[in-house]
Amino acid sequence: MTVFKYFFKVLNSYKFFIILTTVLLVGFGCFSLKTNDTTTNFVANEPTSIIINEDGDNDITKNLCEYIKKNSTIKEINTDEDSINDAIFYRQVSYAIYIPNNYGEDFLKGSNPEIKIKATGDSNSAYMKMLLERYIKIVNIYQQEGLSESEIIQNANRDLEKNIEVEMTSKINANSLSQSTFFYNFANYSLLAGCVFIVAMVLSSFRNRYIRKRTIVSSTKYTSFNKSLFLANAIFALALWAIYVIISILLVKDVMLSLYGILYMINSFVFTICCLSIAFLIGNVISNKDGINGIVNVLALGSSFLCGAFVPVEFLPSSVLTIAHILPSYWYIQNNQFISTLETINFHTLKPYLVNLTVIVLFIIGFIVLTNIITKHKRKEN
Amino acid sequence: MFFHNFKYTLKSLFKNKSLIFWAYAFPIILCTFFNLAFSNIENSEKLNIIDIGIVENKYFQEDTVIKETFTKLSDKNNKDQLFNITYTSLEEVASLLNNDKITGYLILTEDSNKVVIKNNGINETILKYVTEEIFQTKELITNLATNTIKEEIQNGNYPIDYEKIYQGVFDIIQNQEVKINDISNKNLSYTMIEYYTLIAMSCLYGALLAFTAINRTLANMSHTGKRVSASPVKKWKLILSSLLASYVVQLIGITLLLLYTIFVIHVDYGTQILPIISLILLGSAAGLSLGVVISTAFKISENSKTGIVIGFTMLGVFLSGMMGITMKYIIDVNIPIVNILNPANMITDGFYALYYYTNTDRYFFNIISLAIFSFIMIIISSFLLRRQKYDSI
Repeated sequence: MTVFKYFFKVLNSYKFFIILTTVLLVGFGCFSLKTNDTTTNFVANEPTSIIINEDGDNDITKNLCEYIKKNSTIKEINTDEDSINDAIFYRQVSYAIYIPNNYGEDFLKGSNPEIKIKATGDSNSAYMKMLLERYIKIVNIYQQEGLSESEIIQNANRDLEKNIEVEMTSKINANSLSQSTFFYNFANYSLLAGCVFIVAMVLSSFRNRYIRKRTIVSSTKYTSFNKSLFLANAIFALALWAIYVIISILLVKDVMLSLYGILYMINSFVFTICCLSIAFLIGNVISNKDGINGIVNVLALGSSFLCGAFVPVEFLPSSVLTIAHILPSYWYIQNNQFISTLETINFHTLKPYLVNLTVIVLFIIGFIVLTNIITKHKRKEN
Repeated sequence: MFFHNFKYTLKSLFKNKSLIFWAYAFPIILCTFFNLAFSNIENSEKLNIIDIGIVENKYFQEDTVIKETFTKLSDKNNKDQLFNITYTSLEEVASLLNNDKITGYLILTEDSNKVVIKNNGINETILKYVTEEIFQTKELITNLATNTIKEEIQNGNYPIDYEKIYQGVFDIIQNQEVKINDISNKNLSYTMIEYYTLIAMSCLYGALLAFTAINRTLANMSHTGKRVSASPVKKWKLILSSLLASYVVQLIGITLLLLYTIFVIHVDYGTQILPIISLILLGSAAGLSLGVVISTAFKISENSKTGIVIGFTMLGVFLSGMMGITMKYIIDVNIPIVNILNPANMITDGFYALYYYTNTDRYFFNIISLAIFSFIMIIISSFLLRRQKYDSI
């Protein structure tokens, strides 16, 4: 019981760090909830844009503005150049459209006036460019046909409103699932930084030369000491996992209270055990607290960056993902990604999930064996 | 004595492994992680060729306009190639979609035309949009040609050359000139901000070096400080030489990081070398002066002071965009005073101004802000360091 109590006493001194990693997780979890579209029908992407209208209120210009507003989300920002430049750079606006003075008049005269734009250069701005080009082409054609202003507007709007039927095959709520995946992917960092750092730090306190000597001369059996230590570590790790699961239930209730939620929970539970085994390895091998701090930071940040916890997996270069195979985080995150694409849940469809879980379990066994070999070797040396 | 203390402070700082790790190795390691994670992100966001499928049935084969337009859009020799198309059966194309090999497919039937996709997304939106545009254009050709034919009939211009009329309408549509002039700045790589925040972090971590060096001279902080304080050496000489030593150690670290980001990671800082150096010198001075204030203002353990420096730095770089550039934008737009007072943002924004803006107003605003911040910190610390005397400690 003394060992058990001392564990939590040392743990208490690191409470700030646990709170910090949890706050980060909640913060990023909430950030992922910024889109609350839960539809399973097709919804077209709407690029963000701004219109800098120097022409005024004539019908042609007004119709162009209406068309842009209909097909994109207009961002309300200041229209001074620095604000526009900043918005473009920080991807708050995909496309800025400058309608020049006398645009409407010049257009009706047939001089095909130039429109200046600023764009981010990504897919959204490319799409916005397509939309604008199509509009200009159509109104130009009707202008060249000699139609009046109102006829041009009427015909162009009629043509542009014709849609094609779209069928979406996936019936899963991809948005809610991607939010859960985002949360559990980020939990990779929180678990590694929180669980591994704390457990390794506490273990290193027990490895302090004087404390170790006192423990050895005490009447407490070595097995009993280890049992208490293991139990305390397990309780801490499980409590941390349970807190993260509860937070995820609060954030994405509909997914977490379904079969998908159970899959996320099992995956994160196995990964928590893996974190515990890594912590045991680090805590037993390194006694210098500064060293542990450095190693855990590099391990947690490295695993999170390389395996897709911070940056979505689809954006990572294939070479990085190949290297990431040697890290348990990779298999954990792959499972999270897999869950978000799962159409039906049965033994057959869950095979890749089970394979990934098995790899994480193999990592756990590997770390435990390695810890035992190293500690045995060190004990002999002592 | 000045040089003596300078030399030994330098030696003791370089021998402090933990300090060297956080000041030298950690930013470089973090920079490497940034590079691995972000190297592909901007390319992935660009519009790349989209893999799609088309059900190759008799309706598609008979529709020349649709067939030719899609052939043109998927031509590998076309610089505006948009699609990579697989023409196959419905079963095969459905299987490709199910296995995420294609974004979606088009199926033409007797009574309707349909785009089938798996999920929502920008590529799916573009597929739908382009298909719609092709069908709209086809209808537009038909309408315009019909009008022309009607006019020819009304005017009695026989015989009517239908093929010529269709070709004429097609040419009008094809040759429409769209005058869109892109006036965007070409330096639009937003991941650069991440590296700038890293330099800012490194500059502010100089505070760790500063207070470690200053602690060597403070009687209430270390045994060395007690001995040094009892020596007949002027305090300003001790403090100034200690600070100079930590400044040198810090500048070596930042130079290493800067060279690493330029030559290995290929970070773009713009083309103006002198302003970059000035920004780093002032940024480091800000970190250093911050360290002196934390060292003298708080009568707490060294670990707690380290916690304050790391906490302050991380909060600063968080607000200036290290954990997502959107945060910097949100603060800049909604609570600008926070980032005006944030030294991490002064450094980050200074680099951003050099990279993105052609005029130097914004850069100089940040440089002056850093100078004022450092000056205030130095004034505060000089007041705190004055007349510290102990009869016993």
